[in-house]
Amino acid sequence: MICGAPLRHIDGFSLALLEDYSSKLDDTGKDFLKQVREGSQEMGRLIDDMLQLAHVTRNEMRREKVDLSELASGILNDLRMTEPVRFVNITVQKGLLAYGDERLLKIVLINLLGNAWKFSSKKTAAEIAFGREWAKENGPYFVHDNGVGFNEAFAGKLYEAFQRLHSASDFEGTGIGLATVRRIINRHGGNIWARGKVGKGATFYFTLPDANGVKK
Amino acid sequence: MRDKVILLVEDNPRDEALTLRALQRSKIVNEVVVARDGVEALDYLFGIGKYAGRDATIIPQLILLDLKLPKVDGLQVLKSLRADERTKRVPVVVFTSSSEQEDMIKVYDQGANSYVRKPVDFEQFADATRRLGIYWLLLNQVAPE
Repeated sequence: MICGAPLRHIDGFSLALLEDYSSKLDDTGKDFLKQVREGSQEMGRLIDDMLQLAHVTRNEMRREKVDLSELASGILNDLRMTEPVRFVNITVQKGLLAYGDERLLKIVLINLLGNAWKFSSKKTAAEIAFGREWAKENGPYFVHDNGVGFNEAFAGKLYEAFQRLHSASDFEGTGIGLATVRRIINRHGGNIWARGKVGKGATFYFTLPDANGVKK
Repeated sequence: MRDKVILLVEDNPRDEALTLRALQRSKIVNEVVVARDGVEALDYLFGIGKYAGRDATIIPQLILLDLKLPKVDGLQVLKSLRADERTKRVPVVVFTSSSEQEDMIKVYDQGANSYVRKPVDFEQFADATRRLGIYWLLLNQVAPE
């Protein structure tokens, strides 16, 4: 990626200083360089996220049958691999199909499941579930976690880019994920909403039109 | 084998410095010649232009090739050197920041021996450079001439 190059240089030369000149730096100096590296890596993630947000509205959409359950299981396996020591009780309903752009729907699930993973990380008995409510026709899909939750009074702010409900020191993040998710769901003609309570977890619901009710 | 040259084709001076450092840290002692665009790389390889008079029968041990280059891009350099009897067997490792699957296929089609994506995370890049450097220069035999 073109914008990644200068950041790679900032990070790379900071690492070079740490490795080649560590004997000439005291602990404070080393810590400052560590902060430079962390800052540039964070900037890199921010740029990636912003580019993704811009791309999801521009690229052409392809509609096909997508197995959301399979996507969700794969993403959750990847998450497990990033933190193998964490115990999380994961439930994924099988065979949930949707019609949409597989690449974009994968971004939706990566963000929602990634959030569920992140915001339940301080829980000793964490639970994450992906499923669909069948009670009514075209029932919503949902991603649930029993983590820190959020105050519903701020629910409207969830989808604004850069808007975060948690401090960066508690949970890292760029504040772009849910803005991206909402754009993708809206582009498919669906809706997204959330229920939550501070300390009691969060559930994100989204709908996607079925094959017959395709909206442009 | 020791005195054989590594040709680094890289237009960005910072990437050049970081690559040279990574080579140095992996104890690679070969002389490194740096070409800063595609034309310069081909001039060096074929002993023409800026390098007129260089004995082109002496070929580099390894070419580290960036894909995005001024004047003549990396893919074209690769094509030209694979089409020439003298340079068609030189190991070429392509460095690029492009993550496009399409690019990778093209690069292999044109005869690159290996492909390393420049990750935003420098540690990985340095590791890859070091590993490749050792791999090609110490473990791998150059194809018989």
